Parts: sequence; structure tokens; C-alpha cells
Amino acid sequence: MNNWSVPPLIALFLFPGGLFLFLWGLFYEWVDRKLVARLQNRVGPRWYQPLADLVKLLAKEEIVPEGSDPTLFYLLPVLALACAMTSALYLPMAGFMPAYSFRGDLIVALYLLSMLTIGLGVAGANTPNRFSLIGATRTLTQLFSYEAPFLLALLGPAIVAGSWRISEINFYTQQQPLWIMVTQPIGFLVALVGLMGKLELPPFDAPEAETEIVAGALTEYSGRGYALFRLGKNVELVIALTLVATFYLGGLANPLQFLVKTLGLLVFLAVLQTLFARLRIDQTVGLWWRIGALLAIAQLLILFVINLV
Amino acid sequence: MRKRLGTMVSDVLRSVFKKPATQLYPFERKPAPVAFRGKLIWEPEKCAGCMLCVKDCPANAIELIVLDKVNKRFVMRYHADRCIYCAQCVVSCRFKCLDLSDEEWELASTGKEPFTVYYGKEEDIAFLLEKMARDNAGENASCEE
Amino acid sequence: MTSERKFIVPIGPQHPALKEPGHFEFTVDGEIVTDASVRLGYVHRGIEKGAEERSYIQDLYLFERICGICSHVHATAFALGVERLAGVEAPLRAQAIRSLVAEMERIHSHMLWLGVAAHEGGFDTLFMYSWRDREIVMDLLEAFTGNRVNYSVNLLGGVKCDVNESLRDQILRGMDQLEKRIQHYLNVVTTDRTFLARTEGVGRMTREQADLFGAVGPTARASGVPRDVRVDAPYAYYSTVPVRLITDERGDLLARFVVRINELFEAIRVIREILDHLPEGELTARMPRRIPAGETISRVEAPRGELFYFVKSNGGEKPERVKVRTPSLCNWGSVMQVAVGHKLADMPMILAGIDPCFSCNDRMVQLKRKDSQQWMSWEDLRQYGIEYYKKVL
Ligand code: SF4
Ligand code: SF4
Repeated sequence: MNNWSVPPLIALFLFPGGLFLFLWGLFYEWVDRKLVARLQNRVGPRWYQPLADLVKLLAKEEIVPEGSDPTLFYLLPVLALACAMTSALYLPMAGFMPAYSFRGDLIVALYLLSMLTIGLGVAGANTPNRFSLIGATRTLTQLFSYEAPFLLALLGPAIVAGSWRISEINFYTQQQPLWIMVTQPIGFLVALVGLMGKLELPPFDAPEAETEIVAGALTEYSGRGYALFRLGKNVELVIALTLVATFYLGGLANPLQFLVKTLGLLVFLAVLQTLFARLRIDQTVGLWWRIGALLAIAQLLILFVINLV
Repeated sequence: MRKRLGTMVSDVLRSVFKKPATQLYPFERKPAPVAFRGKLIWEPEKCAGCMLCVKDCPANAIELIVLDKVNKRFVMRYHADRCIYCAQCVVSCRFKCLDLSDEEWELASTGKEPFTVYYGKEEDIAFLLEKMARDNAGENASCEE
Repeated sequence: MTSERKFIVPIGPQHPALKEPGHFEFTVDGEIVTDASVRLGYVHRGIEKGAEERSYIQDLYLFERICGICSHVHATAFALGVERLAGVEAPLRAQAIRSLVAEMERIHSHMLWLGVAAHEGGFDTLFMYSWRDREIVMDLLEAFTGNRVNYSVNLLGGVKCDVNESLRDQILRGMDQLEKRIQHYLNVVTTDRTFLARTEGVGRMTREQADLFGAVGPTARASGVPRDVRVDAPYAYYSTVPVRLITDERGDLLARFVVRINELFEAIRVIREILDHLPEGELTARMPRRIPAGETISRVEAPRGELFYFVKSNGGEKPERVKVRTPSLCNWGSVMQVAVGHKLADMPMILAGIDPCFSCNDRMVQLKRKDSQQWMSWEDLRQYGIEYYKKVL
């Protein structure tokens, strides 16, 4: 791995931030939708469908509902998207060195990712719609339940690598003869399920369960704001996949590895999505705190014991 | 009863290798079965002008216009947009003049005109349309006065 | 949230959970539902009144359109009633075909429900697959009758469509295919851990409650009420090919799944038996156009429960009065009672649990003011509306 670094403007607008993330996010959304469709024996969307959706939404009128704060209403989608994209700067996107890196950037990246979800929750609470309010409550509830186990699950690799710096962990995992997925299977499981919870994919999609609360927190969003939130979620998908691939699937050394590992993970997630009925929000929380957190802690304990010995 | 996770995994994985069950409709289409009830077809030769079909049609989709009762000159005006494809007229007709097509059934249209269909001998239809045009012209003329 | 300020979640008349118009208000405390109410009648189309303006033959098709899912049973109930008034008995073969189509319709209706209920529970894969397999029976119905919905098989005094050898084989083949799939769905529904978490013990209605609220159909049978018109008062061909009554004691959503899926097996068995012993003969009996004066009732078992028709004739070509009581209407009361105490997330499934059909709720409402005994007239209502909106705006 060389010390390749990108000029700041390019890093922000083209790669790894900006355009690359948008396109890659849209591409992964299509892969996900297409796969789920094929797994359900349907034809599924054509490759340009997510882009078409985005363009259509951007062209539509944005309606600010009465009783909500217009500044917040306009600001939140931008903020959410910006946070999600910023976290990409600390990750080995497409297998290259992260654009920026410092000690403890793992924590920063994780919190930037959570900002997206918080933004969603606040956006829901900002509108007086009852479905949005319930959706916001559920979004935030879910945030608090998956956050801890997911963090704990990512701690495992960080501890064995002895660093809080994503680039160093990436380097470490590449050096290992075995993928960390094999050495820390419990952590991997928790991370995977945490990933689904983070992305609000079925069966953890109670915050946007359409049959109960329409579109959840985003019920009142239309046009540009909705487009940005959706884009933010796509970006989050790419980033979260990259993160797990870096930590558990033997690191990302080059673009090919990036493509293969994240896509492989996505396929796996798509299969998981089709297999379950939606969990109620209380069941999600219960699952996380009763099982997820305990498993993650157990994994950590095992690591400590091994380290001591 | 043992509880399991992911009971549909075999379906899900198998369908990767299967053709999708849905179709891209206008590009692929399944042929309709023989019994299919599509557009109404009328054969003027056999019609006796008994009007039973008109009377029994629940949707007022058929009109039978008598040009000459003695010589059996009838024209049928069929409104495909009103028809509910119930086949009551087919059953009601004792002379088996009526049938529902299994070939012509994609009747959607963006305008109203294609929904009104005339059946009958060509010269009769021409005669009727001409007469209607004349009547309409007469009406318009009277309006202008 | 303080107890005075209630948080009410409205579902409908336009809401993605229910693709049909009905309005529900759930008062929630957090996620727990503390009160539920329903408002129906958005689809009042005046069908009963319309029937008085049309001839008996035309009415047959009008009633078929009360519901697109169970259209055949509506026409059957009406035809049976009118035939009884006229003193005409449809030929045996016609009766058999009526039962045959009714059972095929039941399969399509229950499979539709299975998909919808799975979707309400967020299990979209089950939804997609059950609807894919529902196409088998839809295609059979299309090949048989010529229509995918609103089959219009019935005539007064008989039926229009006949079964020939190739169609018979086609149906039997379809049933074999379906039986395998349905067995699979029964396994999924009774063993899938995530799905059971959403159905087991949810929306439980005891037998006493079912009796009290007058529940009908599979909803009642899932609470252990042995009630099925096909068994209690066999009509059409059900006296020759008896139906086994399927009940379950548990009364929760799971029981409703199990009862409906087992009814699918039963329907397949009945279809096979009818096809094996299809009586030869005419398809129609002669039917007078004028129906002798008199009144009668007829009852049939629709996929959703007992369907009831009252027909009164004055000796003319048009009925004097027809009254329809649809099954969904009888089941609403139970839903509203059972809902209280459950989570908001369970509401769509509990609502879907009775297989509600909104076109069944073609009802008119008469209103009284709180302080008066008089029915409100059209003019009163108009005035009330104007005042109401003045106050709100
Ligand atoms: S099929 Fe039915 S609706 Fe159509 S013309 Fe014939 S009787 Fe009328
Ligand atoms: S019922 Fe038959 S014969 Fe009588 S008018 Fe109609 S098409 Fe002609």
C-alpha cells in the first residue's frame, strides 16, 4: 500500500466523497432491489431505476407541512447527507487509502453515520404528522438499541489490531492469515445484524413499516428533501458495507477486493432480507439488548481472556 | 411443532435459477385461453332482430338499430367500454349470433372513439353512418340559424 | 403523554395498510392501543336500490359486482333465492359446477388473504410467493369461465360454463401443484420463528366473544365456533359432496392462518371429488322471466363467512326488494374489541385477520342528533356540514 493521497477538492467532490458515493450508492440500491426481486421470483427494476427515482424526486415540488420549522425541514436532509458523506473520507473506499486519517477516526466515522439516523428522527419529530412522530420515536429507539452492540462488534477487530485508526485496522486485517470473520464469528454475526438494523432493512424496518405508519419519519417529506434522505441512506449502505468488509472480511487492499467483498456482503444481506417477517419495535429492542449486546460483550470477554493468556 | 428460522430459504435460493414469475407485459404476453371473454362479435346474417340481447344486457352495452325489419337489415352498435364481458347476451341469443372473442381483448385506448364498434353488412353501416352524419349536420345547421 | 390529551392514530380511508376505504382510529399510549373505533360506508353504491330498477337477469350481474373477490357466491346466493321463488331447480350438473367454481374461488380468496396478511406482517417474501401460486387457480378460472374476476358463471336456472375432459385434467393438475405449495405455506406459517412472533397469541378471540359479537366464517371457526353454511344447511352440490368443518380452538391470528390454509386443502379435496363424480345432464333449466310473488332468503358460505340474501318479488320482472348481508360486516365488532391492549404494530395484522372486504360494507348510515329523536334529513346534514367547517376553519 503506497501513500497515495488525493487533493482535498477531489476528495470532497469526486472521490471518495461526492459523485463516486452517489453513483455507487445508487448502483448498490439497484443491486439490492434487483436481488430481492429475483429472490422473490419477480423481474425487478431496471438498472437506471434508482437514478430515475432520484431525478423524478428532485424535479418534484417540495411541500413544507404546516406546523413544522421550515429551516429545520430544509436543513436536516442536507445535514444528514453531508454527515454520511463525510464519514466516507475516513474509510478505505474502493480499496484506496482513506483520504484523511487520524487516531480514533473510527469513532468519528461511526458517529457521523449515526448523525444520519438522528437527522431522520429529528426530521420526523419536526413535522406534526402523527405517523412521522411515531416513526421518529421508533427510529430513535432503534438507534439506541443497535448502536451499542454494533459498536461493540466493531471493537473486537480494533482491539486485536491495537488501534482506533481505520487505515491501520485495514492494514492489520490484510496481514492476517485468517479473516477476522473466522476468528471472531460472534462479533461478525452481531456486526451483520447490526448493519441491517442500522440500514433499517427488513426485518428491522419497523421505523418505516408502511402498513402501520406509512413512511415513518419521512411521511411528510417529498421532492428534494426526500431525495436527499434516500441518497443519504444509499451512501450509508455503501459506507456500512465497506466498514464491515474492512473489519471482518480481511480488509480492502485494492478496488477489486472492494467490489467483490462489499458486493458479496450485499448479496448475503439481500438473502437475509427476504427470509423474515418484520419484527415489532419492542421485539427489535428486546433482541438487541437481550441477545445482541450480550453476544458482543461475550466476544469481547473472550478476546480479553485470549490476550491475557 | 418445532420453530425454525428462515423457512422460505429454499424458495428464495431456488428462484435465483428460475425464470421470474412476472412478465414485462407489452413485450411478453401469454395467449388467452379459448374460453376467454374478449370483445363481442356479432354475425348479422343469423340475427332475427328479437332484441333479447339488448334487453338482457346488464350494462346497456348493445344497441340494435333496425334499418329495415322485413328484410332483416340491422346494425349493431356495441360499446366496448360499457361491456362487462358477462356473456349474458351470448346465452340470451337463441340464434347464436353473438360470441366473445378470445383473440381481440386488449381494448384499452386513450380516446373514446375506438370503444364504439359497428357491426353489420358494410352497406348497412355505411348507410347508417351517412344518415347520422346528415342528421348531425342538420342539427348544427339549425343551431346556426 | 397526559391522559387527557389522547394520541389518536388514524388508519384510512387512505392508508397503505388497507388498499380499500375504511377509517379506523386507534388511541394509543406509546405503542399500546387503548381504544379503537371504526367508520364504514365509504363505498355505499346503492346496489340494493339499483337492483329494484333492473330485471332479475341484470341483477345477477349487479350483485356479482358487490365484491370482486367473492363475486361468484353473491351471484349463487341470488340465483338460488330467485330459483326458489320461481319453483325452479337448477340441474344437478349446474349445481355441481356452481360448487366447483365456489371452491376455486375460495382458494383464490384465501391465497389472496394469505399474501395480504403476510404483507401486513412485513413478510413480503411469503406475500410474493403465495400470490405467484395463486395465479395457478386464477389461470384455471380464466380458462374455465373466460374471466379472471367476476366470472359470471351463473345464470338464473343454471350455469353458462361447462367442464370438458381437457379442462378437467388441467384443473386436477393445477390442484396437485397447489396442494404441494399449500403444504409448504402451512409449514412456513406454523414454524417460522419470526412470523410466529407476530401471530402466536396475537388478537385472541375466545369462543364466548366470537358468539357474543356474532362472528362468522373462518374468523369464528378459528375461535372454535362450529359454523359453516355448507355444513349446516347444504346448498348447491354440498349435500352430495359434504364439506368437513374445520375449526381451531386457539382463536389467535395463528389459528386463523391455520384454519384458512386447512380450508384450502378441503377445497382441493372437494374440487377433486366433484370432478370425479360430475353428473351428466343439462346445464340450465327453463326459467320464467316473471318471478311469482313471494319472499325468500338464501344463505351461502362465502370465503369470508355466511352471506345472506333476502329477495322479495311482486310478480313482475323486477324484484321488489333485495337485502344483502355480507360477512365482513359481522366481523368488525370483534376486531374493535380484540384490538385493545395490543401494540400498534399488530393493528394491521389484526385488521387483516378477519379478511376484511370493504366492498362488503356497502352500507348507509342514518344519523340522529344527540338531543333529538328525529333522523337527520339531507338538508339537516348539509347544514350541519356547513356549520362544522365554519367552526373548524
Ligand atoms: S357481454 Fe354482457 S355486458 Fe357485454 S354486451 Fe353482452 S350482455 Fe352486455
Ligand atoms: S338476441 Fe340474437 S337474434 Fe336477438 S337481436 Fe340479439 S343478436 Fe339478434
